[in-house]
This record gives sequence, C-alpha cells and structure tokens, in this order.
Amino acid sequence: MSDQTTTPAGGSTGSIRRSSRATSRKPKKSQIPKGISALLVIIAIGIALMILVSERVSFFWFTGIAFGFILQRARFCFTAAMRDPYLTGGTSLSKAVLTAFAVTSIGFWAIKYGAFTRGLPIPGQGFIAPISLATAVGAFLFGIGMVIAGGCASGTLMRVGEGFQMQLISIFFFVVGSLLGARHFGWWKLNVMLCGRAVFLPDVLGWFGAIVVQLLVIALLWIAADKYAKRKGADSAH
Amino acid sequence: MLKKFSESIAKNDYYKAWLKDAWPYLTGAILLSVFQIVTIAVTGNPWGVSAVLANWGAWIFEAVGGSVDKWYYFSSSAARETLANGPLRDPGTMRNLGIAAGALFSALIASGFKVKKLKSWRQVIAAVIGGLLMGYGARIGFGCNIGALYSGIASLSLSGWVYGVFMFFGAIVGSRLLVKYFM
Amino acid sequence: MKEEMLDCLGEACPVPLVKAQKALEKLDAGDILIVQIDHSCAMKNVPEWAREAGHNVEIEEVDDGEWEVVIEKVK
Repeated sequence: MSDQTTTPAGGSTGSIRRSSRATSRKPKKSQIPKGISALLVIIAIGIALMILVSERVSFFWFTGIAFGFILQRARFCFTAAMRDPYLTGGTSLSKAVLTAFAVTSIGFWAIKYGAFTRGLPIPGQGFIAPISLATAVGAFLFGIGMVIAGGCASGTLMRVGEGFQMQLISIFFFVVGSLLGARHFGWWKLNVMLCGRAVFLPDVLGWFGAIVVQLLVIALLWIAADKYAKRKGADSAH
Repeated sequence: MLKKFSESIAKNDYYKAWLKDAWPYLTGAILLSVFQIVTIAVTGNPWGVSAVLANWGAWIFEAVGGSVDKWYYFSSSAARETLANGPLRDPGTMRNLGIAAGALFSALIASGFKVKKLKSWRQVIAAVIGGLLMGYGARIGFGCNIGALYSGIASLSLSGWVYGVFMFFGAIVGSRLLVKYFM
Repeated sequence: MKEEMLDCLGEACPVPLVKAQKALEKLDAGDILIVQIDHSCAMKNVPEWAREAGHNVEIEEVDDGEWEVVIEKVK
C-alpha cells in the first residue's frame, strides 16, 4: 500500500527548523522491562486459567491478547474506517477494513462450505442475524456512539489497555447501555425483529455465487474509497 | 540483567520494525483475519465483543441487588448458564479482558504507554452518551462493529452489510455532533 | 514565519487530526505547526494526512507515549 507512512522510532534528525522546543526534556525511561513483565503475567494468567478453569477459557484469553495486540500495533480502528471518509477525507483505514472483510470472508466461506459438503453442521450460523428495523436503528445508534466516544467496542477495550481514562468511562456506560438494550430486547423482538428475516447469502446466490459477489462488492467499495480519497486530496490542495 | 537486556533490545532493528513502530494497516487486516479464522475453526463461532458486555451488565446489576431472571434477553438456557457460571468461567469475558491486556502489553513493549487523564467535562459527557448509544445499539442490532459487522459480513450474512450501511450513516451524524458539541 | 503549538494531549481520535487540519488552514506557507499528542493512533493518522497533503512532517518522541508532530506548511 503506497499510502502507508513509516514513522521514525526515536527523536527526529530535525531538518525542519523550529525555535521552540520543550525545554525540560527528561530522559526517557524504557518501559520494555515492564512490557516483558506484562507478558509473563499474561502467560501466567493463561496457564492458571487452563489448569483452574478450562482450556477453552484459556484459549479465549490468548486470542483476546492476540486481537488486542494486533489492533494496537497496527493502530487498527473500525471507528476511523467509518468516520474518516466523511470527517477528514482519509480512507486508508476503510480500505484496510475492507481487505480484512475480504480475507476473513474467504476463510469463513471455506470452513462453512467444507462443513456443508461433508454434511456437518455449519459453524457460526448464529451470526446470521435477522434483518429488521432494529438492525438499522441499532447500527445507526452504534455509529453515532462510537464516533462521539472515540472508539468502538474493541477499540474502547484496546484504549482502556492503552491508558485512556475517558474510555474507561465509556466502557462502563457501554455496559449500562447494553443492560438497557437487554431490558428492552423483548419489546424489540416482539414488535420489530419478528418481522425480519435472516439471509445467508449462499442460500440465495449459491455457495460459489455468494463468495464471488461478496468479493466483487468489496473490491468495488475498495476502488470507490481509493478514488474518493484521491479526489478529496486533490480538492484540498487548491 | 533485565535492564541491560532491554537496552540491547531497544537498538535491535527487528524490535523496531515489529514491536516499536506502528505496523501498516494492511498487516493488521491480514492478522485480524487469521485470528478470526482461527477463532471460528477452534470454537465454532466467529469473534464477538458486545454480547459479553450485556452479561457484565447483568452481573453488576445482580451484585447491586437487581435481578434479570424475568428478562426475555437472558431467558435462554445458554444465557442462564453463562450468568450462573460467573465471569471467571465465561470465555467471552476473558477474551475481552485479553484485548485490553494485549493492548497494554503492546504499548509497554513499545515504550509508549501513558495514562491519559481526563481533560474536560466534555470528554466525560461524550464518553457517557457515546457508551450508552453503543451499548443500546449493539443489543438491538445483534452486535457491534465486530460481531454484527465484521463477523456478520464475513459469515456471508446480509445483515452485516445492512448493519454497515446504517452504521456509516450513524458515523456521519456522530461526526457532525462531535465537531459541533464535543470539540 | 510563525510557529504554533497545538495541545492535543489526552485527546482521542479524531480530535487531534481535525484540530490540526483546522489550525493548519489558518497558517501560511512556511509556518510551522507543532501538534502535541499522546494517542498512538493520532501519531499515525496526523502524519499520514499531513504527508499526503504534501507538507513536511517530522515526529519527535518527547516522552513515553508522548509525541510532537512537527508540520511545516508547504503550500
């Protein structure tokens, strides 16, 4: 990807001449020893969960670590992917999210199709949710919330780990909001969701049709995002 | 010894590329996909985040004397079992805590961790409103940006695409509100 | 030649980027904008935007988890 920027790790060489500079610059303290200790604690918790609770819980713990680590390392942000095209004109994260959709789709498709051809139950079908007005309202509210709070569900958890006090508040109210949503869920189910239908694309387009159409749609969106950013960039230059 | 070791690590080129500098977004996209596929292959379900947060809510609510016994949302036998087992034995809870712990480790090993204190009341209000909207939206929309959007689309469910479209509109409205009231 | 400090410490995305875009608009070519950030994501998207817009960019690691993005407006 040509639009990636690499960032220098340490202090810069300083080819831009600037007059003011933070005067009392204290020497940086390396956090690497703390990082190594954190890793040891993480592994210890994983082993403890494996022995005391179950292998399954331990597995979830370690995949959580992997997701958090990857999100933080790559500064991956679903909120920015949705928000930046409108707010700042940037689409590099939108394109990255689309790439993730495409790659994951191929993997999921293979696992599901493999199970289907061997007559096994297809995994993960609980995530084929019914489409109703509740989907639209829920997604719309979620979209507003994540931009205001500065992070989605995974992003908020990640930012709590990064030391944001603000996100500690938003995760608490995320929990409160979830509880409210769960409280009202019965009403939504009865009045709205029951009118909706779950659509599993292979049921409509066939197994091969579904993955081909899905990848095509993702590719078109990717191209649109790319062109949009270039046009926006050209506009702001004038 | 640990100090010397970490000093030599800090100068290592591979350390800089892998653990210090930010990865390209593309690397993140590929690795997230790998772990999504690992997750569905091993556990039979893709990655989800926000359903767990409703369980956290139920545990907190019951800890302060409330009861969710009669709530439709928690009426299935699976939901009851999860609630009865408690957070320590809930895989999803451990995965969510793992996300925060993994990010903490990532920030520390890059020598980039800092506690970011609250700056203003406006941040508090934004966090409260944003959090409430996300929580409520995620429950009635069958998930968040991970479970409903990412895992939904990857599971070849049309609901994921519908979710994405409306989330995009929400993000536009959210951006306007943010610029107007929260900046 | 003006030099402006923009304090975005404690701000999460997208606040630093939007503030930086607004601040840079008011400056003239040759002026320098220094954005102080402590949010690792902003440390990536602020320089990315500024470079794409054609400005000179430098990042200074001021402290653990704290950076200054120095942007020299080109045009």
